[in-house]
Order: sequence, then structure tokens, then C-alpha cells
Amino acid sequence: MQSSKNSSSLWQTLFGHPIRAFGVVSLLLLILLAVAPAKNHFSEWRHYQNKYLSLIGNRSDAVTLQRHFHDHDGIQQIWLPQLGVVDRCTTCHTGLKEATLADVSAQPFRKHPAIPHTLDQFGCVMCHRGQGPATTVEEAHSSTLAWEQPILPARYVQSSCGQCHRAPLTGTPQLNLGRNLLSRYGCVHCHTIKLPDGTAMKPTDDPPSLEHVADKTTREWIYAWLKDPQAYAVTATMPNFKLSDPDARDISAFLIANSTPIAGDTAPLSKNEKAPDPTAGASLYGESFCASCHAVQNAAGNVVGGDVGPELTRVGNKVKPEWLQAWLHNPRIYDPGTAMPHYRFTDPQLSLLTAFLGNKTDSDLLANVHLDAATPEQIAHGKLLVTDYGCASCHEIGGIKKPDNFAPELTRIGSKPLTQILFLPGMTHAIPDYIAAKIRQPRSFGAALKMPQFTLAPAQIDALTTALLALTDRAQDMPRALTVPAKPPSNYQPAGRAGQLMSDLACFSCHAINGRGGDMAPDLTWEGSSVQRPWLQAFLKNPGTLRPALIRRMPRFNLSDGDAAELADYIMTVYQNPAFDRDSMPNSGYPPAQVEQGKQLFYSKYACQGCHIVDTKTDKGYVGPTLTQVGSRLNAAWIYHWLKDPQAMRSGTIEPNRNMNDEDARALTAFLMTQKGSGKQEAKK
Amino acid sequence: MAKTIANYFEELRGTRVWRSVFRSGTGSSTLHRSLAIQQNVFLHLFSTKVRTRMLSFSATWYLGTLTFGTFLILVATGIPLMFYYHPSVPQAYADTKDLQFVVSSGLFLRNLHRWSAHAMVFLVFAHLFKVFYRGAYRPPREFNWVIGVVLLLITLFLSYTGYLLPWDQLAFWAITVGSNIASAAPVIGNKVHFLMLGGNVVNANALLRFYVLHCMILPLIAILFIAVHFWRIRKDGGLYVHQSEPKTVAASAAAAKGAQ
Repeated sequence: MQSSKNSSSLWQTLFGHPIRAFGVVSLLLLILLAVAPAKNHFSEWRHYQNKYLSLIGNRSDAVTLQRHFHDHDGIQQIWLPQLGVVDRCTTCHTGLKEATLADVSAQPFRKHPAIPHTLDQFGCVMCHRGQGPATTVEEAHSSTLAWEQPILPARYVQSSCGQCHRAPLTGTPQLNLGRNLLSRYGCVHCHTIKLPDGTAMKPTDDPPSLEHVADKTTREWIYAWLKDPQAYAVTATMPNFKLSDPDARDISAFLIANSTPIAGDTAPLSKNEKAPDPTAGASLYGESFCASCHAVQNAAGNVVGGDVGPELTRVGNKVKPEWLQAWLHNPRIYDPGTAMPHYRFTDPQLSLLTAFLGNKTDSDLLANVHLDAATPEQIAHGKLLVTDYGCASCHEIGGIKKPDNFAPELTRIGSKPLTQILFLPGMTHAIPDYIAAKIRQPRSFGAALKMPQFTLAPAQIDALTTALLALTDRAQDMPRALTVPAKPPSNYQPAGRAGQLMSDLACFSCHAINGRGGDMAPDLTWEGSSVQRPWLQAFLKNPGTLRPALIRRMPRFNLSDGDAAELADYIMTVYQNPAFDRDSMPNSGYPPAQVEQGKQLFYSKYACQGCHIVDTKTDKGYVGPTLTQVGSRLNAAWIYHWLKDPQAMRSGTIEPNRNMNDEDARALTAFLMTQKGSGKQEAKK
Repeated sequence: MAKTIANYFEELRGTRVWRSVFRSGTGSSTLHRSLAIQQNVFLHLFSTKVRTRMLSFSATWYLGTLTFGTFLILVATGIPLMFYYHPSVPQAYADTKDLQFVVSSGLFLRNLHRWSAHAMVFLVFAHLFKVFYRGAYRPPREFNWVIGVVLLLITLFLSYTGYLLPWDQLAFWAITVGSNIASAAPVIGNKVHFLMLGGNVVNANALLRFYVLHCMILPLIAILFIAVHFWRIRKDGGLYVHQSEPKTVAASAAAAKGAQ
């Protein structure tokens, strides 16, 4: 009773009389209104700026830092009108540009690591995403109701470089790897990825045609391969479709039944075989530098060799010997576009290599595969499955059209609205997590999904996620003037008979010419200016070692004299550097004084012996090519221009530019041109 | 001798400047007080004389006044908001972000506008129900009821047009859905839809139209109807209080009932 009376008296005091009630209500309203300016004053960003001031107050360079800060007091912003970007991150991240704050680790005051761009020109959200205009931590960093794109996790930040830069950058290995994998693992066979320049990303893998597969392999192997490609070869890029036993049985039945033979792609084995000599086979395999392109898994489980061609660890389980022999004889009969060169093996070499490779088997692989003869129903069902799983997206299969847009387009996957995504329970609702989970286990999003399981290392998944995150709306809509496009791919094809020879020998699998080709071997665009014809022809006939440090070198193709001459003529005539005349300097007859001066320069001033060998007894350099025969290998004019500016002759070469004057370069050229090689000099005598 | 504040006011009212503005003159007689109301352009809409009973909370719950109060808040906050807002596609959303993050007390201003708008819609409905259930719509106030219904519609249109202005997803789709409802009307539906949006989809034209409607046309119409609404209260015999009708009014109402 007492308390209720008390409270009622308080009520009476405050609201008992209309005038008093009006006064009290007005007072309350005033207090409520005062909240607005108070909230404005005690804002988050002001709190951080005050913290920053107390942080720098105790430092020795406090005066400088304070002056920098007071020049930029209050809310800061970076405005990029061309991109519609407003960034206010620098309001709280006050020390980004202060070089002396390198020791500060507390955010938001940390100094920004050195990058090739200036912060004022590029802002923050271009690379880090998040909500630039926001001035509160929660809104700026996180995914909120009004903003879907949170800060990009640091491990994927290279993706942002890819929004403008289409060509590989030295600073973005993860992005480069990811883009490479998108092409190499054939992602873009099924998923279209349109690039901002209007072209589409192209696959760089070469999935074999299955139109004649019965000539090459058996139904049992296809079955085992379909069930688990990585059981056959750990480096296989073919994904696992998780097929049931009957499905794998039916697909293998269809592929064998659907295969048509090609004349000449199997060769009868010679019957008069003794037991093949494994040592001779291994040494032929080594001499032919098969390992430059093909890998083999050794006993320790390590995969050793190149990744241009398929892994050969268990190749004997896969291919039929008759097919293998015909393939080694001339791979272009079975697959005209293969990257494999056409070696001119002799018949004994062919049977030796066939037997050597045929012995590379794993007895467990096909041990449990027992397939009954295929029924027409199985074959029909196999065809249905092949269509259903989109096999023809990658492989040519007779009678089945390559499907268009078999899988969702990924052109703007990095900006996919979160509302269009079905996340798994317990998953972070963010694009990077979604993409990574999709790559890691595609079928975890639904057992009925068709995307197969790829075998990828965590670093590869991160790289692929990075490359996909670069495919944003911003990347697509970026003004062309602000992007750094990649060089358009070259479809250079040399003409005439030499061109046919170069295709036959698959020169472009290793060498690049005029922008097309591999990077395993030197660029040959200006080879005609570089080398002397007699050396070139002899080298084509029997390639020797130029760089002692390298394990890989050019294989011997057993070219005929005619073919070698044809190629040498073509290279000498066509692949010339327009910057200088090859014959402008003589290749011999330099005065001995100049030669001696060159020798002095070689050994003392420029210390070339650090990387090169001229005298095999004293010089120890092995980084660059051996120069004992350089006088009969290279042209004097080439050496001269090379010494003056190596990078102009071959971009990316590690030979340093020593800013040589003309006299030194001439003297060194004279000295090097006297290095004709001991063998030749003896022959002359 | 100490002067009271009242003395100062009295002095002020006697000055020439004051007399030139307010013509009702000094004094507190009934005449003077009624003149003070009648001769003021803002106050002349109101009755010169009000019974205390009518001002009691229970009579009206002050719903009409509160609605008008929210309207005033909306005008007062809406004008500064217009200083910061461009009704253009690239700028509209960025401007709402600026109001939230950069403009001093901008978030307070915007939230006050938003919550007042919600409150106004709620209060308009509450006012309508109160009037309906107390029977205050009956003769002679039936025309004022009609004006009230028009004001209800104007309030809803104001609310709807303002909804598009932040130019976010919610706004875009709400207006898309709303305008599609209009196009479902028979015969003229598609024309109305086109007229509303200035096109076939919600885009720059729709934003501009909604902005002009929200900030110019609808408020002006609302003010006009509010003025008539208030004026009619005086003409219809003041605020309705249950069983307090003047005898003449009650008699005419009964006669009208008898005639039916």
C-alpha cells in the first residue's frame, strides 16, 4: 500500500497538472533530441582517431606524424569517379602511408605493405572489397543487410589484381596458378568464362578424342579409369565422376562399341623378338628425353618428369602394344594435333621402346575388372550416360555433339549475389567460402549434381578460388583504358614444307616463335640472326648440350639431311631480327690486339667466367651456355648486339645488361668469335 | 517595483510594431480573444471558441493533432534531407549512405523522417477508426469524413513514393511489385503503369517522378486538404464529443434520420 501510494504521488508530482506534465514531457523530448548530436560526437571513427593521436604522441617522430594527421583531420575519403568508388577507410586507418610506423602492429593503425600502386589513386575497396563509404567497423568490414560484399580474406586478395590485369604478374603467383588451372584442368570446357575483351577463356589441356579409342585401349582399362582415374595415374587431370559399377560398365561398353578404326594406327609387332633388353629401352627413353614431357612415379611415390604429356607409370596397362608401336612410329596418324613430336625412330628402336613402355604395368589395376560382353541395352544406356554427364564437352565422341553451355557460366561468379546462393548448413555466407567448397566437393551441394570430383591440393583450391573471385562485375564493366589486357594469343603458323615439318616435329610444344608456343626451350623468333647455318644444321641432326646445368635438352629426332637442311634454310631466312643485319660484322679475322683486349675484358672487367665457360680447364661458370664453340655457333653481329642489350634480343633473359660501350662490345665479340671449339680446330688441322 | 513577465508581454503588445502585425489589439475580453483567432491567417481555420470538454484526452485521444504533428516533423526533416539527396540513379543510394555515415546527425534526420512516416500512417488509421467507432462521421460531418479518406490516400501515396527514394533492392522491388499491381487494373492498367514509372520498368524516370511526387505535389495537396479538413471542423460545429452536440445540430440530425 505504502509503495503504491508513493509511486502514485510521484506520478502526481510529475503529471498531476497539465502544465507540469507538459514541462516534463518537453524535458524528456529535449534529452532524447540531445542523443543525436551526442551520438554524432562520440562516433567510432573519432574514437580511433583519438587512439591514433595518443599512440603517436609518445613516439620520437610525434611532431611529423601529428602534422600529417592534422592535415587530414575528420572524415577522410578517396574518390575514384571513373569507377564510382568512395572509400572512407582512411578515416580510421590513419597510418597507412606513414613509413615510420613499420613497427606498429595494432589495427587500424598499421602501415600498408609496399604495393606497386598509390593508395590515393586506387583506394581500398578495389582490392579489399567491403563497404567503402561506411565509417563504422561493422558496416565497413562485414556483410550486413545493406551490403553483401564483406572484406575479402587476405589469402584471396590477389584476385583483385586480376580484375584489371589479364596477363600473369610476378607478384601474383596464386592468381596465375589459378588461371592456369582453370585452363589446364579443363574447367572452361563445361563452364563458359567470358573475358572483358569479348573473348572466352580457352582450355589448354588436350583431352583425347574417343572416336577411335578401341584401337588404343581395352574396355577393362576404360572401366577402371572411369571408376578412379587417379588410381591409374596420380597426376591425371580427369576428374572422378563417382560412377556406379553398372554405369561405368555401360559407358565403357558404349565407347568401345562407338569407336571406329583408323587405317595405320596399329602396327603388327615383329615376331622374332628376343626378350627385350630393359637397359637399352631405358637408355633410349632417356636419350629421347621422353621425361621432358612425360612423368613416371618412382618407387618412393614421387612423380618425376614433365607434365606436357600424360604420366606413363602404368602405361602398359592402358595401351595395346600394336597401337603403341604405331603411335611411336608416327603419332600424327592417330591424333593429328598431338603435342608429341614425330620421332623418326628406326624399327629396332620402335620395338625396343614399345617393349620398354609395355612393361610399365601395375598388376593390381585391372585384376578385379571382369566385364561380360556388352548387350545392346547397356550400350544404349551408356550413350545416355555419356550425353547426361557431358563427356563430349571435353572429348570428341563419334555421334555426340559437343554441348553448349553444359555448366553454369562463371563470367561474373565473383560478384554473384548471396541471395542467389544456396549455402550448406554451417557454412560462412560469403562468396569465397562458397566457391572453395564447390571446388573442394562439388557433390556436397547435392548428390544429383553432375560436376565431378577433382583431385586438387589445398593450395590449388585456393588458387582456383582466387582466379574465380577475380571474375567480378567490376572486372567486366571496368573502362577499357584502366585495364591491362593480356597479349592476344598468337595463332602463328609457319608456311610451306618447313611449316609442315615444324608441325610434325611439334616444335611449338617446347619453343615459342612469334608469340606462339611453349616455354620449355628458347624462343626462336630471331634464331636466324643468332646462329650460323652450318652449326644449326648440325644441331638439328644431332642436338648437343648447350647449357650444362640443365637436365632437359632437345631430343634427337633422327632427321634426314634433306629435312634438316630444309628447316635450317627456313630458320635462317625467316627468323631474322629486323633491328640489325646479320652479316654486318665478319665472323672471323679480327686483329689479335682486339682479341687480346676482349680476353682481358672477359676475365677482368666483366668477369664473364662467373657464368660462362670458355676455357674448360679454368672456368667454372655453368649458369649460362658454354662458350667454347660460340665462334662457330653464333654470328658476330648477334653477339655484339646481345652484349649491348641482352633483353632487347630476348626479353626475360637473365643475362645482365652491363651498359657496355661500343669498343668493349666489339673487343669481346672479337674474342668470342675466336672460340671456334676444339673439335673443329683439330679437324681443320 | 518588480515587473512580472506578464507585464513585459503587455508592454510588447502595445508597441507600434506589434500593433501593425496583430490587429486584434490588447486586452483579454472575449471579443479580443476571438479576434486574435479570427484575424490570424493560420488560426482562422479553427473555432474561435472551444469547450474544455472537447479538449479532454478521452474525447479524441488527440489522434488528429498527433497525425498533424507527425506531418510537421516530416516536413521539417524532409527539407534538410532534400539538401543531401540527388534523385538520380548513380547518386541516390550513395547519398543515403552519405547520410548514414558522413552527414552530421544525418542518420538521426533520416531515421526521424522514416519513423515519423510509419507513425503517421499508423495514426491516420487510428484516427479513422476512432472517428468511425465514435460515429463522428455522421451528419453534418459526412463531407469532412470524405476529406479524411482523401487524406488517408494521400498519406499512403506519400509513404509509397518515399519508399523508392533510397534506391536499394527493397525499394526497387517494392515499387516494381506495387506498380505491377496498378497495371493489373482493367483497360487502363498498363497506361497507368507507364504513367507512374515514366517507362515500363523502374528506372531513372520512375525515381524522378516519385521524387517530385513525394517532395512537391503530394505535400502540397496534403496541405490543401488538411486546411479544408480543419476549416470544416469549425463549420461542422467543432470537435465531436459524445452527447455534447448543440441542440440545433442534434435536432437536424434527428430530422434527417426521421426523413429516411
